[in-house]
Amino acid sequence: MMRRSFMSLFLVLAITGISGCRKHSDAPKADPVRAAYDVEADWSDAQHAIPLSYREAQGKRIFYQQCVWCHADSTPAGPSNRSNLTPMPPLLNDGAILNAESDEYMQNIVTLGGSAMGKSAMMPPYGRVLTPEEIRSVIAFTRAIAQPPYQPPGRPGSQYANK
Amino acid sequence: MQAESMGKLTPRVRLMFAVSSIALLAVLAISPFKDFVREWKQYKRGYVRFAQTRPDTKKLLADYNPSIDQIWIPGMNVVDRCTTCHQGVTQTSLGGSSVPQPYREHPPIPHNVRDWGCTMCHRGQGPATEVAEAHESTLAWEQPVLPTQFIQASCGTCHQENLAETPQLTRGRKLLAELNCQGCHKLQGVSRPAMLGPDLTNVGTKVTREWIYKWLKEPRTIVDKDGNTIVNGYETEDEPRMPKFRLTENELRALSAYLSVQKAKPLPAYKIDARVVAAWSKNPELASQGELRFRQMFCSTCHSLAVTRAGETKLIGGDIGPELTKVGSKVKPEWLTAWLRDPQGYLAHTRMPRYGWSDEDLFKVTQYITTKLTDSDLLGNVPQLGEPSEQEIQLGHRLFVEKGCASCHAIEGVAPQKDFGPDLSAVGGKNASELEFGKSNIPRHLVSYLQAKLQDPTSVNAAARMPQYNWVPADLDAVTVALLSMKGPPQTSALQNLVVPKKEKEFHPTGAFGEVYERYKCYTCHKFDGYGGDLAPDLSFEGSRAQRQWIADFLKNPQTLRPTLVLRMPQFNMSEKDAATLADYMTMVLQSPQADPSKVDVKQFTPAMVALGKQLYEVKYQCQSCHTIGGSGGYVGPNLNNAGNWLTPAWVEAWLKNPQALVPGAIEPRRNFTDAEVQALTAYLMTLRTSGKPQKSASHGSSSSAVQGAGR
Repeated sequence: MMRRSFMSLFLVLAITGISGCRKHSDAPKADPVRAAYDVEADWSDAQHAIPLSYREAQGKRIFYQQCVWCHADSTPAGPSNRSNLTPMPPLLNDGAILNAESDEYMQNIVTLGGSAMGKSAMMPPYGRVLTPEEIRSVIAFTRAIAQPPYQPPGRPGSQYANK
Repeated sequence: MQAESMGKLTPRVRLMFAVSSIALLAVLAISPFKDFVREWKQYKRGYVRFAQTRPDTKKLLADYNPSIDQIWIPGMNVVDRCTTCHQGVTQTSLGGSSVPQPYREHPPIPHNVRDWGCTMCHRGQGPATEVAEAHESTLAWEQPVLPTQFIQASCGTCHQENLAETPQLTRGRKLLAELNCQGCHKLQGVSRPAMLGPDLTNVGTKVTREWIYKWLKEPRTIVDKDGNTIVNGYETEDEPRMPKFRLTENELRALSAYLSVQKAKPLPAYKIDARVVAAWSKNPELASQGELRFRQMFCSTCHSLAVTRAGETKLIGGDIGPELTKVGSKVKPEWLTAWLRDPQGYLAHTRMPRYGWSDEDLFKVTQYITTKLTDSDLLGNVPQLGEPSEQEIQLGHRLFVEKGCASCHAIEGVAPQKDFGPDLSAVGGKNASELEFGKSNIPRHLVSYLQAKLQDPTSVNAAARMPQYNWVPADLDAVTVALLSMKGPPQTSALQNLVVPKKEKEFHPTGAFGEVYERYKCYTCHKFDGYGGDLAPDLSFEGSRAQRQWIADFLKNPQTLRPTLVLRMPQFNMSEKDAATLADYMTMVLQSPQADPSKVDVKQFTPAMVALGKQLYEVKYQCQSCHTIGGSGGYVGPNLNNAGNWLTPAWVEAWLKNPQALVPGAIEPRRNFTDAEVQALTAYLMTLRTSGKPQKSASHGSSSSAVQGAGR
C-alpha cells in the first residue's frame, strides 16, 4: 500500500517536472508572398506573385534601372529596345536559356560584357558601374523569376539539393 | 516492545527508504534533464548535426560553442541572444531557401550583424532564450518581431534620407507627404509645405454649390467590387488627395453652402479680344482646333484624360496636375480663362506654369475644355440645392472648423489649424498596451492596429475624425512601413550620432533667371542641384552638356522630342527674351567641374580620328544597340543625329570617360575606353549634324526618372 503511494508520488513529480519542458508551438506559417522582402509579378502570369529575398529584391531594383531596356518586352519608359537588337537578347526570365548557364558565367558576362565572352558586343560590360555584389543580386533575381523555374545545382544525393 | 521495534529497521522500512531515495534522486535528475532539453540547446545540437551533413563542416563549426551566444553592444542597448539558435547568420555557404531555419545565412546587407545586433532592425526580445518569448509579444515583453514585409521600416528609423535599397519605405514616405497626412498629424521627417489642399478663399468663383456637394460626398473615389479605385469613373492607381469624410446630408448641404459663397478676392475677369471671339465662335473647327492646341502644348504631361481604346478606358497623361476628363462640367468658364492666364493669381503656390497665351489660343483651348471635356451626368445625383440660406452658411462655417478642414485648406476668416490629429512622430515605437483597439477583434499589436486604422478609422474608434482612404494593398503596406519607421528621437546617445538626416535641398535663384524659372516652374519636372522633380532630365549641369544656341532653340520650340513619349516638355510659347535669359544662365552657371572645355580642342580632330570613331561606334562597341544615328539604332539612349549641334565636345569626352561622374545613376555603363578611343568617338559624334530645323535632335523627355541618364 505504502509502496504504491510512493510510486504515485514519484510519477506525479516526474510528470510535473517534464511538463515544464513542453515545446512551444511554432508561429503559424506565414504566407511566403506576405513574408517576402519584395515581390515580382510572374512575367508570364501577372496574377502570380513571386516572393523575393533581400538580395533578389536588390537585383530587381538594379534590373529595372540597367537591364530592363533590352532584357524585357516592356519598360517603364514604354517600348522595349529588345526587338531592335540582333541577335535578340534573352528575356531575363527565360529559364530555357539562362537556367543552363552557371552563376559564374553570368557574373562574367555582366562584368566583362558580351564581346569578352565571345557573345554579341551589344551587351556592354557593367563591371565599372555595378559592384560584384550588385551583379550577384541581379543573377539571384534572374534565378528567382526564371520560367521554367531554376533548379540550383546540388550535390547528388544531398538532402538539401532539391528543396 | 515499542521502543525496540522503533530502533530496529525492518526490511519493510529499508525498502521504503530505498524507494524514496531513488524517487528523490529521480526528482533531482529532472532539473539537469530539463536543462538538457532546453529549446535553445536543441537548436544548438541541431546545428551540429546539420553542419555534419554539409561539405564545409569544419568551417561551420569553427566558432561553435555549446552555450548561449550573445551580441552585446552597451551603447545601443543591444543584448541579443538570437545567434544562439540562428547560428549560421554569418556563414556565407548557408544562403538560400534550401537551408532550414534557424540556420540560414542572413542576406548580405550593408550592416554587419556583429556590429548592430538583430533587434535593432527585427525588433523582438533580444535577451529571451525561448522561441515564443523572443519572437512574439507577451505580457512582460511587448515588442514582437517585425514581419519581414515591413522590415524596411527599420532602415528608415535611422536613415531619414531616402535609400535606393528600400523602395517600399520611399513609396510610403512619398504617400504620407502627397496625401497631406502632415496636415493633421505631426510626422517625423515630413515637413509642412506652403500649401496642402487648395486655398478655398475664392472657391465660389470656381465651382458651383452642386459640384462642391458631390465632391464632398464622394471625392472622386469609388472602390468597385474588385477593390479597384475609380476616380471620376476611371480606374487609377493613385489615391486622390482629398479623402472621404463621412458627412451627413445636412452637413453636406451646410458645407457646400458655406463654400459656395467664398468669393472674397475674385480674379479679375479677362475679356478675350472681341475680334478673336467673332472670328472663331462660328467656326465648326473651334473645339477640334482647341484640342489640337491642348495636345501641342503638352498639357498631358501634367494632366491626364480618360481615353477609350479597344473597349478599355484608361487615364493617359501625367499626375502632377488634376485629371481633366470632366473638368468642363466642374469649373465656371470665366474662372477657367482667368486661371489659365494667371494661375498664381488664384492659388499662390500652385505648380501650374504661367504660359504666354495669345488670345486666340486661350479662346480655342477654353472652348475645347468647356465643350468637350464634359459629362452632363456628372451632377446627375445631386439634389437641387438652391440658394444657400444664412443658417446653412453658419452651420457650414462651424463644420469647416470642427471637421478640421482648415488643417489643409486656407479660407478667409478661419485661422489655420495645426496638429488637429494625434502626433504620430513616434508612433512606430508604440507598444500594444498604448493603443486603443476599441471593439475590434484584430490581433493586439501595432502592425495590425495601423493597418486597421488606415483602412477604416472607425474600426478601432467609432468616433474617429480621420477621413476614409482607399488603399491598394501595396500602398497600405508602404504607408504602414513609413509609419513604423517613425520611432521618435533615438533612445541612446550612440544611436543619435548614427542617424542619417534628411538633406533638404533648395534652389531658388534670383534675378532675371529666377523670375523666368519661377514663372515656368522649371523645378516641377527638372532637378537643379538636387532640388526639383524627377520627371525630366536633371539640368544641374545643362550648361556643360548643351550648346547655348541649341538650348535657346529648344526652349522656343520643344517639339523636338522622342515621338514615342507621352510626357514631354510643354510648349510654353516662350518669348525670345525668356529663352535667351534661360540659355545664358544655364551656359554661365549650370556647369559641371567634370567637363572642362579648355581641355578639348575641336580643331585637333582629324578625319582619321572621325573614321576611327565611326568604326569604334559601329563595330567594336556597337553603340547602335542603344543610340540611333540616321534611321537605325536603339532608343535606350538619346538619338545622336544632331549631336554636333547639341552637345559640347568637353561634355562628350567627360561622359565617355565616366557617365556616372556627370549624372549619378546614368544607365550608360562606364566603359574601358582608352584616351585615343574617347577622342576618336568625340570627333565622330561632333560631325553629326542635321541641317536647318533641329528635328529628331535629341530625346529630351523621359517618362521616368530611371531613363534620365541615358535620356540625355
